[in-house]
Amino acid sequence: MRVLSIVGARPQFIKAAVVSKQIRAGGFEERLLHTGQHYDFNMSEVFFRELDLPEPSYYLGIGSGRHGEQTARMIAGIEEVLLKEDPDVVIIYGDTNTTLAGALAPVKLHIPVAHVEAGLRSYNRQMPEEINRVVADHCSDILFCPTQTAVRNLEKEGFHNVLDEGRLIPADGASTSSASSDPLVINVGDVMLDIARYAKHRLDTEPGKRTGILEKCGLQPREYILATIHRAGNTDDPDNLRNVLEAMRAISTGGLTVFFPIHPRTRRALEKFDLLGLVEAGGIVTSEPVSYMEMIALESDARLLLTDSGGVQKEAYFFGVPCVVVREETEWTELVEIGWNRLAGTRVAEIVAAVEATIHEDFESKARVDFYGDGRASIRIAAVLKGQA
Amino acid sequence: MKRSCMGAGETDVPKIMLIVGARPNFMKMAPLYFEMAGTKLLDPRIVHTGQHYDYAMSQAFFEDLELPEPHYFLGTGSGSHGEQTARIMVESERVFLAEKPDLVVVFGDVNSTLACSLTAKKLLIPVAHVEAGLRSFDETMPEEINRRVTDIVSDLLFTPSADGDENLTREGVAPKRIHRVGNIMIDSLVRILGRISPDQEGAILRQWNLPQGNYVLVTLHRPSNVDERESLQGILGYLNKLSQRLPVVFPMHPRTKKNIETFGIDMAFGSAFQILEPVRYREFITLEKNARFVLTDSGGIQEETTFLGLPCLTLRPNTERPITITQGTNELVDLGTMESRTQRILAGNWKAGNVPALWDGRTAERITSVISSYVDSRR
Repeated sequence: MRVLSIVGARPQFIKAAVVSKQIRAGGFEERLLHTGQHYDFNMSEVFFRELDLPEPSYYLGIGSGRHGEQTARMIAGIEEVLLKEDPDVVIIYGDTNTTLAGALAPVKLHIPVAHVEAGLRSYNRQMPEEINRVVADHCSDILFCPTQTAVRNLEKEGFHNVLDEGRLIPADGASTSSASSDPLVINVGDVMLDIARYAKHRLDTEPGKRTGILEKCGLQPREYILATIHRAGNTDDPDNLRNVLEAMRAISTGGLTVFFPIHPRTRRALEKFDLLGLVEAGGIVTSEPVSYMEMIALESDARLLLTDSGGVQKEAYFFGVPCVVVREETEWTELVEIGWNRLAGTRVAEIVAAVEATIHEDFESKARVDFYGDGRASIRIAAVLKGQA
Repeated sequence: MKRSCMGAGETDVPKIMLIVGARPNFMKMAPLYFEMAGTKLLDPRIVHTGQHYDYAMSQAFFEDLELPEPHYFLGTGSGSHGEQTARIMVESERVFLAEKPDLVVVFGDVNSTLACSLTAKKLLIPVAHVEAGLRSFDETMPEEINRRVTDIVSDLLFTPSADGDENLTREGVAPKRIHRVGNIMIDSLVRILGRISPDQEGAILRQWNLPQGNYVLVTLHRPSNVDERESLQGILGYLNKLSQRLPVVFPMHPRTKKNIETFGIDMAFGSAFQILEPVRYREFITLEKNARFVLTDSGGIQEETTFLGLPCLTLRPNTERPITITQGTNELVDLGTMESRTQRILAGNWKAGNVPALWDGRTAERITSVISSYVDSRR
């Protein structure tokens, strides 16, 4: 079985790394295609070497650009590789333009598509990621869902060939055969949990790594708030961005350290809207972007996470850290429902109130639910693909 | 608001880009263009992506439909699906950025439909899909992917009949996005029928020596029928035989003609079996209206024959227009059943059918009214 995995943005490299490891262990012949969407991605990072992330066989070098143009160039480039490689299946990840192009190119050539992280919905159709998700799902033949909620979302869109009624399937991928030729929806659990477990294990067995970044930044475990802001809805809108910064400043003057590693896109926005002064004037501790392992260390030792990222919200939950989301909606509604996430929106007073309420709440004894499986999603994905071969 | 910086000569009428790329789009766009421009409720601009660009396939249709030259011609041409879709995305994004339309309208199920709905949506420009909700449930048809993706992306979905609404609802589309407005191609058909005089009709039939009401019109272009040697040969053989009973006229896509040579299909065609170059819209409608029956694999012709009350045999395993079978005059056939169905038609033993609701020539009015209130509500 020949597999072409298509990646382009940092989170996709992380997900592909764990899946790739299992796929290759299962005896598949895998090629990796890197669209170049995040061209500054550093393949030499230790974490990826540890995960045996293969070097890409194809690098399209698309780089950034307008949505349409970027997606268009990817479609054309991917199609060329598909015609040459003729894989048995294409694997796509998440919800970026790489995902969209990686779905549209093979579907027209009748090459089966497997989507990892299928079925996520924010139901905000103004988000480019939402369009990417929905289109990718409707082009896919195998939809690997991270949660039961994701399965239900797909059922609402007419997908009916659901394995085991949307329950987490056995880890050996048994019972994955389906009589129907309709797109197959499978709850395998969340690959991000696989990665978080692995990374946490590394940190726990190498405590020096864990404390290194905290010391470097002058942080004490459980005594800082980690803030990550990079979503277009916040960085492209000067009012939203200003509000988030004002809220961070108000929180930091209230006595809690706010640690804010600044994403390159966010830095450009801060410069463009002349907001760097606001960051520096407050008691906010800033830094350059941190490595993946440093991020995991920072997340797992934080008192609270303040974020607009999808992935960080979940990682917070994996590590038992509460999270305040500076967006109007989230794909991880189940975390809001059980109270581990608070949706604060982008108004100063509401963000500050959400942070204060969270700080004063007891999370030590708060109930947790295994929404995201058991950390063996990548094993299931490989097993299912093997069963389809 | 962006309207505050209006340039000289610009009006405050919302700007709507109408996207067409291939022949079947033109008849669907024309009525909407006339309605928007005529009522001055909306300011329509035509964008021709250039998927079909030669004279017979494009310009002649614009002439017969009395359409003006497109405001934009993107000249993207042919190519593989990916290449073509990619080029249309790049060029259409440029146009949308320059024009900043209030809304983009896409038609049908061609690559231009898919590509432009994606680029517009990514620029946060609302998208309306005319002929939404059609499903063949055959994922091997590239059009099926185009339909599904366009419908998912679009903000306003204009369906021709209730089955379209049902398909969309099953896919989780919110009911407020769905508007059943009828079949816009029938608007064009009604209009052109009123503009072809009996004299012109007679002249067109004489040109090919066809007896009124007593010949077969054939149109085939789908890969499954014309790109495989065996099926093309089988079809042509049957038509040749049929032409001994009544004349057969087959306006042929240039690609199909080339296939006959490439496959080395060497057949002595009888004199009553005429293969034509692609014909103009008014010629085609005349040929269709006066035929005994039609053999086709096209989508739109299944609908036109239902409106005209003319027997139609569709050489496909499925159709995304089931109402033409349940309510109209259409039936699906294959090489094996073609002959017995033909016998039934010639014996005068064919269902009468009736015209589905809202296929009344006024679909463009309804669409314009919905789009107009939609863009007003957003300003």
